[in-house]
Amino acid sequence: MNEISRDAILADVTEVIRDIFDEYEGPVTPDLNAAKVPQWDSLAHVQLMVLLEKKFGIRFKMSEIQSFKNLGDVIASIENAQER
Amino acid sequence: MLSNVSLEREPAPVTLTNEAIDHYCLSIRRLASQQLGTQEQLRLEQLAKAALRGGVLQKFRPIRLGLLSNRTMSYLISPLLAAGLSRGLLLKAYEAPFDTAALFTLSAQNPFPEDLDAVVIALDEAAFNREGALLDQESERRDVHAAHQYLLQTRDAARKKLNCPTIVATQPDLANRLGSGDAMNPGSTSRFINRLNVMIADGAANGDWICWDLSSLAARVGSELWFDPGQFFVAKTNFRIELAPLIADHLSSVVAAMSGEAGRAIVLDLDNTLWGGVIGDDGLSGIRLGQNSAEGEAYATFQKFILELKRRGVVVTVCSKNNDEIAREPFKTHPDMVLREDDIAVFQSNWNDKATNIKAIGDKLGLGLKSLVFIDDNPAERERVRQELPLVAVPEIGDDPTQFVSRICKSGVFDHVLLNVDDLGRALSYEARAKAAEICAVVGNYEEYLASLRMKMTIARFDKIGRPRITQLISKSNQFNLTTLRLNEEQVRAIEEDPSRMCWQVRLDDRFSTHGIIAIVIVHKSQSEWRIESWLQSCRILERGVEQTLMNEIMRAAAGAAVTRVVGTYIPTDRNAMVEQFYPKLGFTRGSDGVDEAGVQYECNPSGYRTLPSFMEVLHL
Repeated sequence: MNEISRDAILADVTEVIRDIFDEYEGPVTPDLNAAKVPQWDSLAHVQLMVLLEKKFGIRFKMSEIQSFKNLGDVIASIENAQER
Repeated sequence: MLSNVSLEREPAPVTLTNEAIDHYCLSIRRLASQQLGTQEQLRLEQLAKAALRGGVLQKFRPIRLGLLSNRTMSYLISPLLAAGLSRGLLLKAYEAPFDTAALFTLSAQNPFPEDLDAVVIALDEAAFNREGALLDQESERRDVHAAHQYLLQTRDAARKKLNCPTIVATQPDLANRLGSGDAMNPGSTSRFINRLNVMIADGAANGDWICWDLSSLAARVGSELWFDPGQFFVAKTNFRIELAPLIADHLSSVVAAMSGEAGRAIVLDLDNTLWGGVIGDDGLSGIRLGQNSAEGEAYATFQKFILELKRRGVVVTVCSKNNDEIAREPFKTHPDMVLREDDIAVFQSNWNDKATNIKAIGDKLGLGLKSLVFIDDNPAERERVRQELPLVAVPEIGDDPTQFVSRICKSGVFDHVLLNVDDLGRALSYEARAKAAEICAVVGNYEEYLASLRMKMTIARFDKIGRPRITQLISKSNQFNLTTLRLNEEQVRAIEEDPSRMCWQVRLDDRFSTHGIIAIVIVHKSQSEWRIESWLQSCRILERGVEQTLMNEIMRAAAGAAVTRVVGTYIPTDRNAMVEQFYPKLGFTRGSDGVDEAGVQYECNPSGYRTLPSFMEVLHL
């Protein structure tokens, strides 16, 4: 796993997070998850997934969408998809 | 150029002066009218939500919608707010909790807040209890009949619980097919959906509800793109959520049409819009129009489309930077012109800038800027008009004539709910108004002019046939409206039968045209006193002496009922200053009730009323 590419992905993910959770002002780090962001409900989760798919030109599998525990998992999946 | 609103993240406005609010609302409307990418769209929605919380969207017309579906509609709520803004509406949507659609129809429960303007019913085939027996045409017929009954029952529930009209969505045909065999097999899901949609359209034609033709949008997008099985299983949506802004915009055009906010007049550029080339340079024989080339045929087809709009009641006008005589020449003599000079209600051809001319066209027709749609192939002119006149709709038609028709259709600016005969007559009436203004200049003496119009007023009680137009007038008239009393169609229906009220719909004809219903009066009657609860008139027939004649009729009726006091109220709004002196001008005096928050009271004793001069014949039905 490449630290540099992960940082780049995190920067792009952060932009989407800021757009979708406009009321959240805390830090965006790999351990961020729905429990820490009040706006992050199940509806917003699907919306977040769709925005990320669009931004990175990838598709998450349904099983992935439901198993991500935090942003770190999401970033790993994006990195994986990009390497493939 | 967006001076004080942008999509960069910024805090919500807190307090603004009135003038700043005007400006803010126009800016946000302009912003909402642009085509946005996914993230920009999200920012627009958040900006709109913040502005809504900040209470600075009062220039938009508030409309409250209930969303009732057997699938998730939540993703439409924010996009609806954003989509409405581009059409001058503040669309607040409320979704019934998941899986409560049947509960709404079949029980007394009501998940919605009070005061909805409409309930949107979007039920897919799974919401209906079907036999679905294969190869059985009778069973298929029963299934469609049952679905119809169920929708009527849902409509009735909306009527009873919320007293508001319903909008029923046609359903995208997303059925998986084994092949063409499913089209031949009664009982297949795809056949059911197709019949369901025909039934929904027929119901709308019958006046049972308003139809939102969602399936046509899905067909345009394509069902492969429309539906994402993954999202369906995760989020229970039956459309791809990236499409939410498009779907919301489609619904907002129906709501705009229902609320009388759709385009009523088209303002056309000429060169490279109605024909190829520049008439001033290329001359009559040089412009490209008609059967000789693909380009010429495309322009002729576009002109036929304009005529179709005219048949649907849209007023056709021209706004061109040209010498007037040269600009009219093709209309008079070009053999391939589809539009002729008498199709054009106002012909504004000079060297003034377009914004000024568009304003002049609105004035001549007596229409507000928000009713105008500007069509021009030149992107610079479109942008200029958007900047100067944000209320005018300016669809992005591009500069390729083969695309004009589809792009105008897709913009939804001319979407309409059920047309009535009055709508069709209205185009004629606006034209007549422009012509009558010319005659007035010739005649000179205004009384003679009024007499020369040979006007006929017809007064009737509210009835079923007039109800849609009555509701339209009551829900949208702002300027010539004494009390701005708003009623929806269900409330109008209820008031028709109220014995303590006299509800008049007033029609006007003259030798130029049939104006349709142009005035509404609602009077509450008690033994000794009549109160005029609502008096509104269409601004198309100002200065015709309609109000004088109508007041004569009311006072005659009041005198006949031995009433000693008729009370009228003026409730000021920021739009109706034109009728501030309405009652004093008609001989009323300031009432003993004085001024309170309910407005300014005026009164008159019918026995002391001096009949006012009238220039029309009156007929009571």
